[in-house]
Amino acid sequence: MLRVFLNRLGLAPCVIALMLGTLVIAAPIVNAKGGPPRTVFLVLPDIIAPPTVQVRADALGGGRYRLYLDTRNFAFTDICVLEAEAAPIGHAHIHVDGAKVASAFFPVIDIGPLDPGAHHIDVVLRGQDHRALIAQGAMVQGHTRLVVPDRPI
Amino acid sequence: MKRHIFLARCAAALPLLFFLSTPINAHEAWLLSPAEIEALSQAPVPELFRSPVWLGLAATVGFALTLAALGLEPVLGRLEDRAIQPIWKRYGDVGPLVLRLGLAAMTLLAAFGGLPRHGTEAWTVSTFLVPDMQLTDVSGASILIGAQAMLAVFLIAGLATRACGVILIALSLAGPVIFGPSFWSYTPHFAAPGLILVALGAGRLSCDHVLNTDIGAYTAAPLRQILWRMSHILIGAGFVYLGFAYKLMQPTLLIAILERGDMPTFGIQMPVIALIMTGVEILCGALLIMGRLVRPVALAILGAITFLAITLGETPLFHANLYGALLVVLLAGRTVPIAHRVPGIQWARAV
Repeated sequence: MLRVFLNRLGLAPCVIALMLGTLVIAAPIVNAKGGPPRTVFLVLPDIIAPPTVQVRADALGGGRYRLYLDTRNFAFTDICVLEAEAAPIGHAHIHVDGAKVASAFFPVIDIGPLDPGAHHIDVVLRGQDHRALIAQGAMVQGHTRLVVPDRPI
Repeated sequence: MKRHIFLARCAAALPLLFFLSTPINAHEAWLLSPAEIEALSQAPVPELFRSPVWLGLAATVGFALTLAALGLEPVLGRLEDRAIQPIWKRYGDVGPLVLRLGLAAMTLLAAFGGLPRHGTEAWTVSTFLVPDMQLTDVSGASILIGAQAMLAVFLIAGLATRACGVILIALSLAGPVIFGPSFWSYTPHFAAPGLILVALGAGRLSCDHVLNTDIGAYTAAPLRQILWRMSHILIGAGFVYLGFAYKLMQPTLLIAILERGDMPTFGIQMPVIALIMTGVEILCGALLIMGRLVRPVALAILGAITFLAITLGETPLFHANLYGALLVVLLAGRTVPIAHRVPGIQWARAV
């Protein structure tokens, strides 16, 4: 009966056991390093001066705003690639109240019109492959807060 | 209701899944907000995914369950044959039709930017087969856009379908050349539907059938079986790779996306759910590669991706290639009937 059962299984158990064994050995080794998921983050080497970004907003009227992205140790480019090298080159993603509204390939970008009320603007520096930059263990991002008047100027 | 009518209606209703989910979202990293991304950047890899003991235990449980399922394979096979009997004669018509329409929707929307990457306005940027692969600054983009649009038209019409399958395989292989190694994670799941189209053709509801232009309809049965098995191997290999590279090695991303989708946890901790998902994906992929439990695996994966699509609120159009391919696999099983257009079909059991 056991022989019938084993014949029924065939080579599949050996193959699966081999595969699972390999994964059980490999996964802890890779995951032991920790670190953020590479699909989302591009970790810059510690020897590179960490980029920074500060955000300033000027009202343009009609609920529209011009954002000035004051960056250091970072170069803007409009060239995107699928696999970027770990370098402080890329663009910025602009989020308003948590939702992405634009990509800034230059340090100045216009957004809006925004609805009246308070808005939180997040600017996250991204690599050329859209992954969020991490420098010295932290994401490179800037924030500002806008209050759009009821009657837009 | 008679069983065969019920099953036929179920198969016919499958395309409705495409319209069940309203927002155009994918379970991809790009939909996370800055706050979620920041939290993700600091999230530690769960102990479950770092500990050889826990992973070994999980692998042992997965192995035992797989052995049990393999032991039940003959019983399941009889049940499958009985359940599928009323509609299996039409698998060669229903399956390829769903697959063709799904692939056509994907390629047509991609060509005109209708399936954009999250954060990109619809109909502004053309993509190549999947939302992540934007055709901006790609030399020859217009050719790829045209090729996708033409492919969609031919697939909808069911004209020169086997040639369309070859073109789809070629496009999936061109992806890594154009976009780099990242595209290899998509290649198997587009090459496999291509192989299925080459092996099966368009089915009865097609111009190929009406105009009698299906030049490969009487392809040698052994060649058809080889193509059919290759498609299973590719689908399985794709799942094993995705499970390993994206889930087992980046569990925090999977957990963040599941948490964002407010997926029901039934009281189970999220890392445990992530590990179960990972294990199921890898084991199902391995079984498909080996050609074992093919129908149950196809059903399990179809159920899983449908559940995820509904709970995460993403459009199933992002996975139309897999829905179509797995439906055909579910209907036909491990082997395809010899010359399915010829009356008096005989199953060719390769076991």
